[in-house]
Amino acid sequence: MSAQIHANLTEEQVREISEGLDEPEWLLDERLDALAALDGLDMPDVIRTPGRNWTNLYNLDFENLVDPLNAAEEKDQVGPEEVEVLSIAEALAEHEDLVREHFGSIIDPTENYLTALQTALFSTGTVVFVPDGVDAEDVTVRTRMNSRSLFNYTLVVTGESSSVTILERQTTGDEIDGERYYSGLVEIAAGENSNVQYGSLQNVDEETYTYTLKRGHADTYATVNWIEGNVGSRLTKSSVETRLLGEGSESKIVGAFFGHDDQHFDVASRVWHEAEHTTADLVTRGVLDDEARSVYEGVQDVGREAWNTSSYQRENTLMLSDESEADASPKLIINNHDTEASHSATVGQVDQQDLFYMTSRGVSPRAARNMLVEGFFVPVLDEIAVEEFRDDLDDLVAARLRE
Amino acid sequence: MSSDQDHLRETDSEKRFEFKKEQSSAFQAEKGELDEETIRLISEDKDEPEWMLERRLRALRQFHAMPMPTDWPGQPDLSEVDVEEIVPYIRPDVEMRGGVDDWNELPEEIKDTFDKLGIPEAEKNALSGVGAQYESEVVYQNMQERWEEKGVIFCNMDKAVQEHPEIVKEYFMTKCVPPSDNKFAALHGAIWSGGSFVYVPEDVTVEMPVQAYFRMNSEGMGQFEHTLIIAEENSEVHYIEGCSAPKYSKFNLHSGGVEVFVKENAHVQYSTVQNWSKNTYNLNTKRAICESEGTMEWISGSMGSKATMLYPSTILKGRGATDNHITIAFAGEGQNIDTGAKVYHNAPRTKSTIESKSISKDGGRTNYRGLVHISDGAENSSTSVECDALMFDNESTSDTMPYMEIEESKVDVAHEATVGKIGDEDVFYLQSRGLDDDDAKQMIVAGFIEPITEELPIEYAVELNRLIELEMEGSLG
Repeated sequence: MSAQIHANLTEEQVREISEGLDEPEWLLDERLDALAALDGLDMPDVIRTPGRNWTNLYNLDFENLVDPLNAAEEKDQVGPEEVEVLSIAEALAEHEDLVREHFGSIIDPTENYLTALQTALFSTGTVVFVPDGVDAEDVTVRTRMNSRSLFNYTLVVTGESSSVTILERQTTGDEIDGERYYSGLVEIAAGENSNVQYGSLQNVDEETYTYTLKRGHADTYATVNWIEGNVGSRLTKSSVETRLLGEGSESKIVGAFFGHDDQHFDVASRVWHEAEHTTADLVTRGVLDDEARSVYEGVQDVGREAWNTSSYQRENTLMLSDESEADASPKLIINNHDTEASHSATVGQVDQQDLFYMTSRGVSPRAARNMLVEGFFVPVLDEIAVEEFRDDLDDLVAARLRE
Repeated sequence: MSSDQDHLRETDSEKRFEFKKEQSSAFQAEKGELDEETIRLISEDKDEPEWMLERRLRALRQFHAMPMPTDWPGQPDLSEVDVEEIVPYIRPDVEMRGGVDDWNELPEEIKDTFDKLGIPEAEKNALSGVGAQYESEVVYQNMQERWEEKGVIFCNMDKAVQEHPEIVKEYFMTKCVPPSDNKFAALHGAIWSGGSFVYVPEDVTVEMPVQAYFRMNSEGMGQFEHTLIIAEENSEVHYIEGCSAPKYSKFNLHSGGVEVFVKENAHVQYSTVQNWSKNTYNLNTKRAICESEGTMEWISGSMGSKATMLYPSTILKGRGATDNHITIAFAGEGQNIDTGAKVYHNAPRTKSTIESKSISKDGGRTNYRGLVHISDGAENSSTSVECDALMFDNESTSDTMPYMEIEESKVDVAHEATVGKIGDEDVFYLQSRGLDDDDAKQMIVAGFIEPITEELPIEYAVELNRLIELEMEGSLG
């Protein structure tokens, strides 16, 4: 089943976006190739058991969601001096070769319908270059979406033995009648022995559908660590992925989500061990209230040549309401026996004994429940090294609990 | 060590499982004719009532209308399975329709086959009753008198259609495994033959296991036995099936159907030791419906076959019902064992546990594919899933794909899986105590699968261990 939702998209629109960014010919060609490919592409994979797609992207009305020429956003992209934090246009002007080398090399633009749609239509983005040997903290990218649709591209390239911490936030601004669509692709090329920590906190309004795909390539001894927080949106389809391509490379993927009303979160964490001595740790915690629904997929794929692999995965979901639904599928795909791998997943409710204990000490049931929910996120918060980010996520959880 | 164990040890593996017999049959349906006429011929040969023929024909239509399962992530390749190439039905040349109840009345070649498999031995020593199926028909069936006196019925399925039509009509592929369940269930519904019917009346406990053994002997045939077990309130029974087939160059298809009804407070254990030859596609559908306070237990060992797709499932329909799965899969060279468990928690206070172990070796591929579904309203239910995979070498593959669908908040759900290679330290330790490398590994594997073997009667536990030893020696073709 290929998607047929682009009746209102034209080559002229794509050329207009490209001209507006004063793009080189090769990038326009990439866009046009992606546009041409749309016809034959499927939606991204979702968890599927016979007879059931757990998230149905084909039902989304993209024709009305996508408004290619009226993208508007407020953007805030800053970092310390020794790092280059550039808009797409700036990056093309100053480092065209570097952008050309990496653009689309980690996420194939034609990987699925939504990556192709984004490649054809993206109008905003951030490029972060970290030179060899530089240690940088506090690169901040804030995107506030003010239009019906927004396509946002991020590229991070780190030099040898460098390190960088990047915090990204997505929110919605101006009121829009009806639903909207946010799409974000993130490509990270982590050079030898470099260390990237990439945190993302999504808190768009609940009329917004979001699709994000973040993928990093880790070179020898490189580390790519992700933090993925999802609080807002009506439907989120998010995947955070690392390919461990270099010997001794590592990745940690920490996820947190909190759904209420009829929110739907389809979140995935994936890691491919493709070299020797690689290590991965996947940790996700989610809370569901009201009629919210979560679909979690975690994949640990150990390749034939990935000798001496260590790979761990934990996923825990807390359900606060009878109407909520949690689906989980942690997958192990193991092709090399010299592996130590495990995964575990649990779903449960607030511990009644804890609740009883707290209420018997005079805490109101509501306050007790909130404390236990906040406590549930602590193991995930503990994994977040950046204080500001930890506080933000904590605040969002607390705010939701007070609603 | 019991004499059975000695008996099994003394029997040469090749002789026990791989010997072939000259084909001789009384009736054989032509391959490549999976149409209404063939179904009518089979039904006529069995002298079936009209309603069963109607069910077969309806299932046949469903079979033709359904697509092959092709798009499951990582599923075994079924492209070689051409149902039109299968000989769907072979009635062996046995005088008495529905089989004989004296072992000595069997034709020499069939008797000899089962003697080699140790079936009469097992019966003499530990079983309440035994049935044996050769090709498409049950050739031998026996139930100890003391159970018959209590109203326990253990007969072959074709006989049950004739003698207990009211019960069969109510339960056969209606509520538990309808032909519409999947393509191979539909195929099964159309051309099923043989299998077991077990009926245990209220308040009766059958203390010794009942056993059936299935043997495929002919090249290019399919075996489609149907097993229907009904355990009335407060009853208890343990059913064991074993199966084997020699290896031929062409593929065989096994597509059985198992339906188990566990009534209030009843207890059914269903144990399988599957050792189909390595050209067999084993595409089975097994399901149980469990009423309140009932307990269903599935114990399975999957050793043989070229490819297996089998996910025994239980519907926990009544309050307080329990389901336990213990499965072990062993995949050697060229094998793809895709198996797991499915549990539907549809009532409050239901409980399930799944314990899955797999071993892969010499390029074999094991896959745990499981589904735990907790419906809205199944409050205070709990489930725990544990998967352990042991890998011997770098050519082998082991995947774990559990799915959890949770629609109820007052639940306790836990899944855990681990994969590891056989511990070099453990092997070294055992070697330092004088065991050679092979013996050390076998001992580690025996320890790894112990949770399964301890649930089985001794004959089966021994057989399972023996089969794994043979797999590890690479001496099973």
